[in-house]
Amino acid sequence: MKVLIIEDNQELARNIRDFLGREGYICESCDTIEGAREKLALFQYDCILLDIGLPDGNGVSLLNFIRAEHKDCNVLIISARNALDDKIIGLEKGADDYITKPFHLAELHARIRAVYRRKNLGGASIVAFNEFSLNTDTFEARVGEVLLDTTPKEFDLLLYFIVNKNRVLSRQAIAAHLWGDYTDNLANFDFVYQHVKNLRRKIGMAGGMDYISTVYGLGYKFNSHLGG
Amino acid sequence: MKLTTKFTLWYFGIMLVVLLIGGAIVYYEIQWKISRVEVVRHERLNDLIAQQIRQGGDFTGHPTRKRALVIPIPADSMPSEGTSYYTRGLAWNPEFQTNEFKLLVTSYYTIHGQHYRVTTYSFIPSFYQLLPGVVDSFKWILLLLLVLVVVSGGLISKYILAPFKRTMRAIQSFDLKQKETLRLPGTQTSEFRELNEFLVKMTEKAREDYQSLKEFTENASHELQTPTAIIRGKLDLLMESDIRDEQAILIAEMQNALERLSRIHSSLTLLTKLENKEYQAKEPVCISNLARETLASFDELIQMKSLVLETQIEKAVYIPLHLSLADLLLTNLISNAIRHNVPPPAAGGAGRRAAPGGGGDNAALANGGSGAAGNKGLIRVNLSKEGLVIVNTGREPSIPTQELFERFKKGNSGSDSIGIGLAIVRQICDLSQFDILYQYSGGLHVLAVSFLPKTGASKLLQNLSFPLQLDGSGAISDRRVRS
Repeated sequence: MKVLIIEDNQELARNIRDFLGREGYICESCDTIEGAREKLALFQYDCILLDIGLPDGNGVSLLNFIRAEHKDCNVLIISARNALDDKIIGLEKGADDYITKPFHLAELHARIRAVYRRKNLGGASIVAFNEFSLNTDTFEARVGEVLLDTTPKEFDLLLYFIVNKNRVLSRQAIAAHLWGDYTDNLANFDFVYQHVKNLRRKIGMAGGMDYISTVYGLGYKFNSHLGG
Repeated sequence: MKLTTKFTLWYFGIMLVVLLIGGAIVYYEIQWKISRVEVVRHERLNDLIAQQIRQGGDFTGHPTRKRALVIPIPADSMPSEGTSYYTRGLAWNPEFQTNEFKLLVTSYYTIHGQHYRVTTYSFIPSFYQLLPGVVDSFKWILLLLLVLVVVSGGLISKYILAPFKRTMRAIQSFDLKQKETLRLPGTQTSEFRELNEFLVKMTEKAREDYQSLKEFTENASHELQTPTAIIRGKLDLLMESDIRDEQAILIAEMQNALERLSRIHSSLTLLTKLENKEYQAKEPVCISNLARETLASFDELIQMKSLVLETQIEKAVYIPLHLSLADLLLTNLISNAIRHNVPPPAAGGAGRRAAPGGGGDNAALANGGSGAAGNKGLIRVNLSKEGLVIVNTGREPSIPTQELFERFKKGNSGSDSIGIGLAIVRQICDLSQFDILYQYSGGLHVLAVSFLPKTGASKLLQNLSFPLQLDGSGAISDRRVRS
């Protein structure tokens, strides 16, 4: 997947580039609206990460241009302002999703995948990995042919793991993903532990392999190469 | 009192004074004028009599002599200056057999060397008889004026004050958040024009200040969130490198602190936004559905903590609140009720343990974290048109419940929360003029929000169908404690 990162902060752009690069994404970045226009005029991208606050203007103004020139690419707005106005305007002008700083890179990745699934795979809403197949429309997860009896949160969690496989997911990132921004519940990692425990048990009962491992002190990891 | 009424009353007072003075003037003027006319008539009559004397002849029976007295007088009785004077006063009128006002005009003549004093008199209407007439007519004038002032006052003030009223309407509908400057209708009245100019200037200033404050908040948010995002990203990347266990612990601790930082920051930004009244309700929100959705989203947490959830949610309760705020309100309250939920202590001394970190007073309340003796934590959610009541079991707070609404105040200092959720809840309630109440009694935390304006939240607790206290055994009491 080819991704354009329009973000004026070099460090943040590099974080994203590094993280997505490991997924095998081809990332390019630029830090101004002008630069973005140039790149967009020359190349095609599958996904655009757009920061709202750019040195030469509001990133929202780029949306019209993007929508006119690149109908198919996904636009994900990155903003530090969680002002409702920005969010609504951004989504109205054709952005596909909105993520506020400070975000976990794994969360950003999950959002990119979700937007990509919705738009590019034309209804094929199955996420498959080895024996797992997850239907993101019906929220049904299967191990082989066996239907996993997951709760909505557990489904969400499994999807998050598979999308971010082979990555260490911190408990904070998992909690933020499952419960959103405003709940103070994040502090309570017991819930994360419980969810992961239940999920592993259910996968085991359905005959799936135990891909999920605990990373000491940090969180969890979904290993695609067991024993490797 | 309305301006028009005030003006009318003042005018009426002034009119009354003017009419009283005017009445007196008219009264004395008429009185003087009548005397004057009579005096002139009598002077002419006296002149006529003098003419008759000059002509000679007997005029004794002549009508001119009916009320005349002609007396020849010696020269030394002649007044040195002036040839006539008049006197008046009450005198007996034999024709009408009554005392009447009598006017005497005396003139002096010198005819053929002989001096005469000619006195004629007549009875004129008494001034006292005129008085009721004057008073009467002024009474009618006053009445007429009053009616005119009241009617015209209403009409004219409506016309004159129209620009003022338009200005008032414009001001009332003015919103700091609007993008346009305040537009006020033009007027010919200089005072109103001044007022309008002043208002336009003032609102413009307020709008600019508001805008810059808003921008500052957003910029501050932006500037702080970006470095936080960088640190978080770096930590995410660092986690995946080859690290030792000690390093992992360090990273985890940094992640935790970062989480708190970002959460405190976004909460404070949110509070500022609330204070700036940036979230105005555009249309009433159905809080019944929202409450059900919120509870559903917390369903798994409730099950994980083995809590008993009892709900009474009235259908189609609409409240005037921004959707995001209503969501925030419910999320904060329900997540609080889950997070701080501790099952009630079991009956009997064996199960009792001192609650850690709660101070000495609540030694009787067991920690119960593991659900001592099978007691389960409880959450009750009662939503009606009047308000929302959330009841949950929990440890006794170490500070008074009302203080928990303040920022960074926590009931248990050991908990991981940042203590800002209830401050946000209260801010939302203050903004919407909902009364909110938090009390703790007998092992139950009770949070009540009244949706009705000017209605205390404590009223909600009176109509609940469940008790607000646990009985001694730690189970839910059947009797109603509050009536």
